[in-house]
Amino acid sequence: MFKSKTSKVGLIVFLAISMLLAACGKGDKATSGSGKNALDQIKKRGKIVIGVKYDTRLFGLKNPKTGEVEGFDIDISKELAKEILGDEKKVEFKEVTSKTRIPMLNNGDIDAIVATMTISEDRKKEVDFSDVYFDAGQSLLVKKGSPIKGLEDLKKGTKVLAVKGSTSAVNIREKAPEATILEYENYTEAFTALKSGQGDALTTDDSILYGMVDQDPNYQLVGGTFTEEPYGIAVKKGNKELVDALNKALKKIKESGKYDEIKNKWIKTN
Amino acid sequence: MDIAGALSVDHLKFLAHGFMVTLYIAFISILLSFIIGTLLGTLRYAKIPVVSKIMAVIVETIRNMPLLLIIFFTFFALPEVGLKLSVTVAAISALTVFESAMLAEIVRGGLNSIDKGQIEAARSSGLTYTQTLRYIVMPQALRRMVPPIVSQFISLLKDTSLCVIIALPEFMHNAQIIYAQNVNYIFPIFIVVAFMYFIVNYGLSLVARRLENKQV
Repeated sequence: MFKSKTSKVGLIVFLAISMLLAACGKGDKATSGSGKNALDQIKKRGKIVIGVKYDTRLFGLKNPKTGEVEGFDIDISKELAKEILGDEKKVEFKEVTSKTRIPMLNNGDIDAIVATMTISEDRKKEVDFSDVYFDAGQSLLVKKGSPIKGLEDLKKGTKVLAVKGSTSAVNIREKAPEATILEYENYTEAFTALKSGQGDALTTDDSILYGMVDQDPNYQLVGGTFTEEPYGIAVKKGNKELVDALNKALKKIKESGKYDEIKNKWIKTN
Repeated sequence: MDIAGALSVDHLKFLAHGFMVTLYIAFISILLSFIIGTLLGTLRYAKIPVVSKIMAVIVETIRNMPLLLIIFFTFFALPEVGLKLSVTVAAISALTVFESAMLAEIVRGGLNSIDKGQIEAARSSGLTYTQTLRYIVMPQALRRMVPPIVSQFISLLKDTSLCVIIALPEFMHNAQIIYAQNVNYIFPIFIVVAFMYFIVNYGLSLVARRLENKQV
C-alpha cells in the first residue's frame, strides 16, 4: 500500500516535469509543420523570418542606438521581402551565429538564413541553397609591418585565428597544416584576440576582414584571396518553391541595379 | 580605448535591457527550479524505496555535468529527438534542470539538518511520516535553506551569461554587440559589465547574510 502510493508520487513528479518540458516546446515558431511548401506558409503569414548575424560588421550588426540590425545581408533580405511579399517591412530578423543557424533553420525558428553563409558541398547535405548572392574569398588579416605576407608564411609556430563553425577554419587547416589554428566564438572576439597579440594572423572572408580594417587601419589584408566563398541563402531541405522564389527575387534585384547599390553601400574593397 | 564612445546613453540603455533579460531568465529559472528542486530533494530525503534511489541518480548525474553541456543539449540535441525549443525556452530549461539538481541538494541538506529527535517525537505523538515532514521538518528546514538558496541564485545569475553561446540576448550578449561596433569599446564595456554584476550580486549576498544573522 505504502509502496504503491509513493511510486504514484514519483510518477506524478515525472509527468509534471515532462509536461512542463513539452509545454515549453510549443514556443513561437516561424514555420509550423514539416516545411510543406514553406513559400505558401510565408505568404499566408505575410512575413518572412530570416536568420542574420547580429555581430558582423558590414553584413549584419545590431545598432544599440536604434535597436535595428544593419548591413549588406539585412538590406538584401529587405529587398527579398519586397520582391516576394511586396513590402520590405514584411521581414522579421532573428539572430543566428555560425553555430546556431542550421539548427534554427531545421527547428523552424527561421525560414531562411542570410548570414555570410558559404555554399559548400557538406552544407548542401543539410540545407538547400539559393544562387550565389555574394562572392567572397578567404584572406588573411595582419598588423601592418607583420612578417606574414601570405599563406606561405604560415609556418610551424604561427598562430592563426579563425571563427568556430565557419568554412574558413576548415580551409585554413588544409592550406596551412603547420600553423596552429585558434578558433573563437565570433569575429569580434577573433579580432580582439588578434589585437591583443593572441595570434599572428586572422583568417576569414575578405569581406568581413575589410570591416575590421574599417575599424582599425593599423591592420591590413595580405596575400590576396586563396579560396572562393560564394555566399548563398539557405533554406530547409526540400523547399524547392522557396528556393525558386528567392532565386527569382535575387535575379530581379540584380537586374534592377538595386544589388550594386546595396553592395557599394557596404563593401569597399580598396 | 574609447570611454566616452563606449559609455554613451544608448549603449548603457542597451546594456540595461540585456541585464533585464538576465534577471528575467534567472528569476524564472530559480522559481521553477525551486519547485522541482524541492520535490526532488524531499523525495531523495524521504528514503522511499526505488523512488529515492532514482532521485539520487538524477540529481547526482546532473550535478556532475557542466552547465554549458546542458545548454548545448537543450538547444542543439533536443531538436534531434523532436523537442524544439526557442532560445529563451532552451536557456530557461537548461538552467532549470541544472539548478533543480543544485537546489535538491540544498533542500536535502536543509532537511537533514533538522534533529532526528524531533522526527521521533512527532512520530511518537501520532503524526504520520508525511505530516511530520510537512508540519515539523519542512517549516524549520525551509528557513535554514534561504541563505544557501540566495547564494545559488547569485551563481545562477552569473551562469546565465553562458547562454551567450546560443545567442540569448542577455547581458553579456549585449555587451558583445556593443564592442562589435568598435573594438576600442571593449575595455570600458567590460568594466561596466563587471560593475553591474558586482552591484547586484553583492546586494544579494548582503541580503543572504542578513537572513543568516536573523536565524542565529
